Amino acid sequence: MYNRKIRGPLVEGNKSLGQITGDVVSPLETSPGIWWSAALGLSTLATIYGIYAIYITVSKGIGTWGVNNSVGWGWEIINFVWWIGIGHAGTAFSIFLLILRQRWRTSINRAAEAMTVFAVLCAAIMPALHMGRIWLAFYIFPYPNTRGPLWVNFNSPLFWDFTAITAYLLISVSFWYLGMLPDLATIRDKTVSKIRKVVYGFFSMGWTGSSRHWIRYESLSFILGGIAAVLVVSVHSIVSTDFAVGVEPGWHTTIFPPFFVVGAIFSGFAMVMTLMVLIRRIYRLTDYITDNHMDAIARILIFISLIMGTAYLTEIFVAWYSGNEYEMFTFFHNRITGDYKIQFWGMIVCNALIPQLFWFRKMRRNWVVLLLVSLLINVGMWLERYTIIVTSLTKDFLPSNWTPYKPTFIDVGVFVGTIGLFATGVLLFMRYLPMMAISELKSVANIGSKKED
Amino acid sequence: MCYKIGIFDEEVKFISSIKSLQEKQFSIYDVFTPYPVHEVFHLPKRKSRLPSAAYFIGLSAILATLAFLYYTAVVDWPVVYGGKPFNSFPSFIVITIVLTILAVTIGSLALFSARSKLVPGRDNTIFDHRATDDKFVIVIDTGNLDKSAAGQAENIMNGLGAVEVIDKEFENIYE
Repeated sequence: MYNRKIRGPLVEGNKSLGQITGDVVSPLETSPGIWWSAALGLSTLATIYGIYAIYITVSKGIGTWGVNNSVGWGWEIINFVWWIGIGHAGTAFSIFLLILRQRWRTSINRAAEAMTVFAVLCAAIMPALHMGRIWLAFYIFPYPNTRGPLWVNFNSPLFWDFTAITAYLLISVSFWYLGMLPDLATIRDKTVSKIRKVVYGFFSMGWTGSSRHWIRYESLSFILGGIAAVLVVSVHSIVSTDFAVGVEPGWHTTIFPPFFVVGAIFSGFAMVMTLMVLIRRIYRLTDYITDNHMDAIARILIFISLIMGTAYLTEIFVAWYSGNEYEMFTFFHNRITGDYKIQFWGMIVCNALIPQLFWFRKMRRNWVVLLLVSLLINVGMWLERYTIIVTSLTKDFLPSNWTPYKPTFIDVGVFVGTIGLFATGVLLFMRYLPMMAISELKSVANIGSKKED
Repeated sequence: MCYKIGIFDEEVKFISSIKSLQEKQFSIYDVFTPYPVHEVFHLPKRKSRLPSAAYFIGLSAILATLAFLYYTAVVDWPVVYGGKPFNSFPSFIVITIVLTILAVTIGSLALFSARSKLVPGRDNTIFDHRATDDKFVIVIDTGNLDKSAAGQAENIMNGLGAVEVIDKEFENIYE
């Protein structure tokens, strides 16, 4: 099953069970150091800028953004798709790798799930603001109302999207919390602080580690994993139909659902990589998140990068092969050589070319390279959404509609604000919650280690 | 209520103790482990029925969602969208899938919480604090056992490598 000679131990350093508890719980018990406060200060500043931008947007309207009649979707939808993509890390990591029984996920899945929750929260802000009159947002809920009752359009991908994102958020939070139950109980029983005992005790819901709890817990994990695996492919497919159902040139293609899903998992894994490189260095958790773990993520990234490159080429090929002059124009004159060619080529270089570095073992084991490439992939994924949305909308079928697009200070504010919110969430998570699944780590502590031989 | 609590620091010793206690016809009240140990999953003598419950929740969610969409789109307020039929079944499937997943998740979580009696703020009896850290714990109810039988259980556990065996008394048990 698991070949230690090839893949190395899952947990290095022959840890005892008690050491695992200690290592994961210690960041919660000790003061985090000056870097943490500095990072939190910075992310709070970014969040404040975001709150200001949202205040202006809500009080004055979305005329404060760079969008116009032709380019009705700007940075906010780019950011929305980008954040949802990053939000696929948790499901891809915990759920896909859970049902595929990939046990190396155990030291990474908790942080990936946390990321998912914060990323989906950031994503949800975008369409809500885009409604313009956010105080009427409740119209989107299908409830028996006094307006007829007039129901929402259940045939619209935009409504599917709302359903999918809401469900995704609730399900990710449930899965995350369920996974944390045993670990919260561990902290409750281990901590010396009275306040922590009460707080973690409250949220651990009386978990004792009884065999009856464990049986149901495992059964429930597999039910949720099995059923939520559908979400990994469905959520971003639905997001892609927001575009594919529209008739804009460059959007109206059948490649969109798989293309978007793969892109989402790509950016999710890249963000996990960014976070893991930092966490394992800052908290000295290299025994748990080993070089082999990073190597495995890098291998997945290179595989997905190849799919992305193929998808980009397929889009261009189909535009040419279809003989449709609008598609030809969009790809050859608008994207490859047009006003936004820098974004287009940035996307190709960051997503399809740079990850090819991971063919080399030395690169997969160099943390600076890992960090830089993972950051560049997310830049590339943002540029991909920029290319898709802005090039198609600025130049559509009628030249009289053609309008250039430029974001405003407020657009930038909303984006920076969500990055701040995400960073704040992740920092608080690192400080107050167990960063790795303690109980799962204990169950794999001996796999591939010398003890087992 | 009196309990004899055997504490082990290795999974192997813990499992062999359970086996030999069962051979000697001792009934084990419960065991506590820091991570799921599959060898002891037969102890509660019952399999989890969550999968079947989840299946029925899912089935009802599918039917309920489709019925609701049919009612709103065909019966209550039919609207023509692009000349398509009122009952545009294929485009209802997306929402049905998503809501089914949501219902199964929330429903089976709620059942899990109710059946395992795990709710926020609950104080279940903790037989030994170390069970969530690094120890494996066997609990035997000595209420119905005479002294020599209880002593025998203690000897079995000690003989098979228990770190310690303690007697504890609880007024009420919450589990």
